[in-house]
Amino acid sequence: MKFQLKRLLSQLSILFAANLGALGFKTGFCFPFFYCNACPAATSACPLRAIEVGVFNGEFKWKLITYPLLIIGTIGVLTGRAVCGWACPIGLLQRTTGRVPKKLKRKFPSIAKIGQHKIERYFRYTKYFVLIGLVVITPILIGFMFTDICPVGVLTGTLPIMILNPSKYVPNPFFHVALIVFILFFVLIFIIERGWCRYFCPVGALLAPFNKVSFLHISVNKEECIHCNVCSDECPMGIDIPNMHRNPECILCGKCINACPKNLIKFERI
Amino acid sequence: MRHHELLEKIQKWKKEGYSVDELARIIVSTFKSKETMFVVFISLLILFSGSLGGILVYADVYDEVQSRIVEVLCLSCIKLDPKTQLDFTFETANGQPYSNFVLAGLTRGPVFLAFREDVCTACDIMEPITQEIFSVEYEKEDAVYKIVPFDNANITFIHINIDHTSKEKRDSLFIYDKDHIKGVPMFTIITLGYDRGFIKPYYTTAYGTLGLDKDEDRKELLTNVILDAIELYNENRPGYRPQ
Repeated sequence: MKFQLKRLLSQLSILFAANLGALGFKTGFCFPFFYCNACPAATSACPLRAIEVGVFNGEFKWKLITYPLLIIGTIGVLTGRAVCGWACPIGLLQRTTGRVPKKLKRKFPSIAKIGQHKIERYFRYTKYFVLIGLVVITPILIGFMFTDICPVGVLTGTLPIMILNPSKYVPNPFFHVALIVFILFFVLIFIIERGWCRYFCPVGALLAPFNKVSFLHISVNKEECIHCNVCSDECPMGIDIPNMHRNPECILCGKCINACPKNLIKFERI
Repeated sequence: MRHHELLEKIQKWKKEGYSVDELARIIVSTFKSKETMFVVFISLLILFSGSLGGILVYADVYDEVQSRIVEVLCLSCIKLDPKTQLDFTFETANGQPYSNFVLAGLTRGPVFLAFREDVCTACDIMEPITQEIFSVEYEKEDAVYKIVPFDNANITFIHINIDHTSKEKRDSLFIYDKDHIKGVPMFTIITLGYDRGFIKPYYTTAYGTLGLDKDEDRKELLTNVILDAIELYNENRPGYRPQ
């Protein structure tokens, strides 16, 4: 079976498993990826919501803070950020929209420049600020929570609820701000491939440091690399693959492995 | 690095004229780095998986996440309010009997239940409104049970924070969840109604920010429902026989 087809099957299986709540299979676990527990079919809780509940108004409920971190930590140590590439339903969505930014890049060079600007790599730290700022600090200090305006919540929670029960709900005061964020989210993922994962995903920010120590990672034979950059062009996260070593941005999707004309890139254990 | 790759490298280095010492240093550092990574990986894996196993076995976090996050939604989190149909009904939402603490209050007058959870912005929006209507002040985590004079009637006001209450009171959320929303904030008023020859408890439930934008409108809506409940109570109280 082709490698990317295996990845697609993995993503679809996880999407199915994440929605087993529709069959009454609701668990007390947290998803190790970004998915909303408000989804009518969700199987588990959103890790960010659990963290917010744990820190809200400075009441440090250590169990609720450490629980999602330990779930993410255990998976992160084993596979690094592979969860983003192989499991996350939002990753699957961005996989399906991924061709649009590529086409736009070819048609409009200005869009290509957005992802190649020299400050772009610094912009990737935004997701850590979103995680620390909006998921931890603002719930402690002012009671403002990321999940109240979360675009993934709108996509996987709010919209399915509205679609399933169109006459039962009306938007509340949080809806309009969340809708604007949601629209910006969609614009982003249609302009920049995996734009959400690159710049804003707080769950990605939790998983990223584990790439440095994970059991599974992608390695490049730098000595024999001919620097054709085919791998970098193919990389949905826009990583400079030939110079990569355990890059926190790598989602282990394996597209670079398939693309390398010399077969110098491979999955490696430890 | 695999064994055969290392051998290939050694051959290459020999050709390029590395000294044996240098070669040994590179080999040692390669293995050392691999070993270090392995030790770090194993340590972290034991730390994370062991702690996760421990927290699952020795703490009630699994049940807490299931009952507080997965099964009860925060309506501000879903960014929607249920369209509140404030029609009264006799049937409880899950078929369970009316709670004892509600039936006890019902002998004096209508009972108003205000449900919330700790982390819920919509609950924070609605709390000052219920406090104003019933002229009571409390902190969000407080359990409040107060008989409040209201328009020539005595209303039992009960504030339930599902994160800081008994199982009976937490479960009552699902008893009066008329529209099966499973979300907070939720407001229930229980009064008395006439049903085929019997006077029985009769209730309605409102959710979220009531689908309204202004605090005055929210206050007016809740007040009107309370006044309806008082009227129903006064009409039916003479025939009510508490069980």
